[in-house]
Amino acid sequence: MSDGQQNKTFVVTRFDPDRDEVPRKQSYEVPVRSDWKVLDALNFIKDEIDATLSHRWSCRMAVCGSCGMMVNGEPRLTCKEALAQYGDTVEVAPLANFPVVRDLVVEADGFMEKLTSVKPWIIRAKERAVEEGTMRQSPAELEEFKQFSMCINCMLCYSACPVVANEPKFIGPAAIALGHRYSLDSRDEGAAERNAVFRGEGTVFSCSFANECSEVCPKNVDPAAAVNQAKLNAVIDWAAGFVLPRGGDE
Amino acid sequence: MSRSAHPRAMAASKPGSTRTAPPQLPDRFPFGGRYLAYTLFDLTGILYLLLGLSVLCAVWSLGSGEAVWNGALERHRSIFYLGFHGIALAALIFVGIRFFAFFPKAQPPRVGRVKPPPKPVILAALYGLWIGVTACMTIVLAGGIF
Repeated sequence: MSDGQQNKTFVVTRFDPDRDEVPRKQSYEVPVRSDWKVLDALNFIKDEIDATLSHRWSCRMAVCGSCGMMVNGEPRLTCKEALAQYGDTVEVAPLANFPVVRDLVVEADGFMEKLTSVKPWIIRAKERAVEEGTMRQSPAELEEFKQFSMCINCMLCYSACPVVANEPKFIGPAAIALGHRYSLDSRDEGAAERNAVFRGEGTVFSCSFANECSEVCPKNVDPAAAVNQAKLNAVIDWAAGFVLPRGGDE
Repeated sequence: MSRSAHPRAMAASKPGSTRTAPPQLPDRFPFGGRYLAYTLFDLTGILYLLLGLSVLCAVWSLGSGEAVWNGALERHRSIFYLGFHGIALAALIFVGIRFFAFFPKAQPPRVGRVKPPPKPVILAALYGLWIGVTACMTIVLAGGIF
């Protein structure tokens, strides 16, 4: 073994929908380099040891959000996790709380449905004409939502959330954070629409503030803050509907 | 991962064409790692339920005559009740500290045009209120006023 290399055992959860009734574990001995990330080891397994292993990845720089997996029981972006911090044995499993399509690949369709339900785009009562020019936003206005716009949809927060595990209708941290991000945007006029969604079943009020989503977020988005801010905004919007003309839309 | 989450957790509304393995709970849930604090936080609800029942019993005793009320007071001096109230006090402090730690970030950047005060001010107000209410209750229960 050359300098900077050591062997680590990777215990990887495998699942072949055509053959396996339930997921199983498989061990691999991998000669890892000191500067490797967990993803590098998985790619080594795929390229050099077992080509049947399935896992998702793309950018390798913690931007695309594709390579989220459970590493030693914690939801992590595998491209961001240095192997040096782990011991001789590393367990890699698909994200918790998600149906597993194959090996380390989870089904993201449910997440995409939840995401679109909060309308994560700028809603305007009336589209602005091109002649009117671009919409301006001050740094202070940007600062109000910037943190929540850093979400990369990696779904780690869903994997850590105990409410997601037990309440299938819960929209979940990332989707609420993104919806809240657009409601805070000074260019947006759709907060009332989103608040109506947030007051529905399985939305912000299902959150019991475990704060796990924020603990595992690789981009420091703090989804727990977004969810609980959205709670207050949804209540204020609802109450304003009783006392303000035309509801709380103004 | 060894225990199943809700079978429909994060499932799409329409099943896909590929058979999937059911979602699993995170390994450490509910008593491992950071989940422990969250689970204990939620479990304190049992203590509040018991405390509520205890208060109802005390009120019932109060309306059932002096002898019953004195009996209730005597019971509350027992080791069992003192221990229970000690645990309840510890739980209340734990819940208070956890709640106060999360409270500032749950405030929206602004409500209308009003912005919330900075985090240290919110924390100082919360702890100040807590200490103030506790001091008032202590004075009242000690017979200082009323």
